[in-house]
Amino acid sequence: MRLALKTAILLALCGSLAMASEQFSMSDEDRAMYEEMLENNPAEIMIESGGELFEEYCGGNAELAKFLGVKEDALTEYLAGFPRYIESLGMVAGIDQVLQALMHQRGHKPFALKSSEMFEISSYVKSLANDVAINIDVKANKHMKEAYAFGKEVFEAKRGKRGLSCLSCHSKEVIGSILRTQPLPDFRANNTAGTWPAYRMTKSELTTLQKRFQGCMQNALLEVLPLGSKEMNALEVYITERSNGLPIAIPGLKR
Amino acid sequence: MSKVKSLVKIKPKTYKSGDIVKVDFVAMHPMETGMRKDKTTNRFVPADYINSVKFIYNNETITTMNVWESLSTNPAISISMKIADAGDLKVVFTDNGGSVNEKSIKITPKG
Amino acid sequence: MQRREFFKKLGFVAAAAAVVPSVSFAAEAAAPKGPNEFSFEEALKAITGSKGAAASDKIKLKVPEIAENGAVVPVTVEVDSPMSAEDYVKTIHIFATKNNNTRCIAAHLTPANGKAMLSTRIKLGTTQDVATVVELSNGTFLMAKQNVKVTIGGCG
Repeated sequence: MRLALKTAILLALCGSLAMASEQFSMSDEDRAMYEEMLENNPAEIMIESGGELFEEYCGGNAELAKFLGVKEDALTEYLAGFPRYIESLGMVAGIDQVLQALMHQRGHKPFALKSSEMFEISSYVKSLANDVAINIDVKANKHMKEAYAFGKEVFEAKRGKRGLSCLSCHSKEVIGSILRTQPLPDFRANNTAGTWPAYRMTKSELTTLQKRFQGCMQNALLEVLPLGSKEMNALEVYITERSNGLPIAIPGLKR
Repeated sequence: MSKVKSLVKIKPKTYKSGDIVKVDFVAMHPMETGMRKDKTTNRFVPADYINSVKFIYNNETITTMNVWESLSTNPAISISMKIADAGDLKVVFTDNGGSVNEKSIKITPKG
Repeated sequence: MQRREFFKKLGFVAAAAAVVPSVSFAAEAAAPKGPNEFSFEEALKAITGSKGAAASDKIKLKVPEIAENGAVVPVTVEVDSPMSAEDYVKTIHIFATKNNNTRCIAAHLTPANGKAMLSTRIKLGTTQDVATVVELSNGTFLMAKQNVKVTIGGCG
């Protein structure tokens, strides 16, 4: 009852009352047209640039594997398990934070997490694991267990004046309902963790999942959490777990 | 003028002589219409868009295009192409400011 | 948001810099205004001269019925044609009939294409018909159009 009320408030907030009618849901033909656009994704150019940055600033696959303490031929499988607890960093971290540490180790000023260079370089590195099944282990150690639990807490925490949480719009009950012409996503069915980073059509930019979280928080009038923060990494762990077993397929293409 | 990055791809990746393949071309370009106001300066951002694309296969121009600012930012264009001999495909594109950029890929039919 | 302002500005008739296309249309000698200010009807007349274009089911025009966003709308035109030296599609034009500049792209094909196909993504400022005009090697013109609903807004 309260959930329905909160969702109704959010609908009113967004300024339109969209019925989940045929009128606003995409037909199969339309959906196929959008899927076909993945074949010619502008983000592929950005990822190519990311590859050049990776070679120049991080020393390529060999150096990254060494930094992570894995064999080079096991690198892509390892990358498909991020975010991970990284001992040398003493925290659960994303690929981007690992790259920052590696850049620093090699005497370079690390790219800021929110910079386009970092989006490009971390997307490139994640794309090395394209087609590899996501294998995040949320029980690997106490840090991952904590991160997963904390991520769930952040997801469900009611924040802001309206008392909204991620769960208000992303619970099982409202999946598929139309909010301002878009159906609310099912994170597993949509393979959310496997299709971000993605090219956002409305921004003409390649952005990451955490950046998308920030956009979502902004829309729901919640205070935006910083990229790479404990809360955001925990949230990413929580959402990534839903895609376990599904293949990485980036860059994605999103609205 | 800085070089505009672009990508040219053939689908499917493997093809033989006589096949008709899809050529995908995408370029990083703002495609400014000239009618968007910059919020910080409160002035119109000048028109800046790709206005022509040419596809040259082994020195033969097989397709030319006029392009206008109504194409999306980071424009993507696809055409069909009949594979003949091995060689290269060059895509040359210009913008309304007069810059010329190009991208070449190898055409390698298997059999 | 930036995008809303962009779409508002599409309706603003600005004196855009005159741009002369590098490949000019034969019938454009008496163009009324600048090349960026053609309405669809004027462009149709400039392209086909007095011939006009006949609606044809030889053309398959693929655009979404409802565009998820107006910034990137996929458009694909396929024409049933042998693409032989004697019988091929010379040009595929795509128009956004209510955009300030209705012209999107004009692709001049040759038999070396093998298939008459053009696919791209366009910006649509508002719900409107997307039209395609096709010129055949025998000098005739065909056309097709479809309405696209552009949804403005969305949560992100």
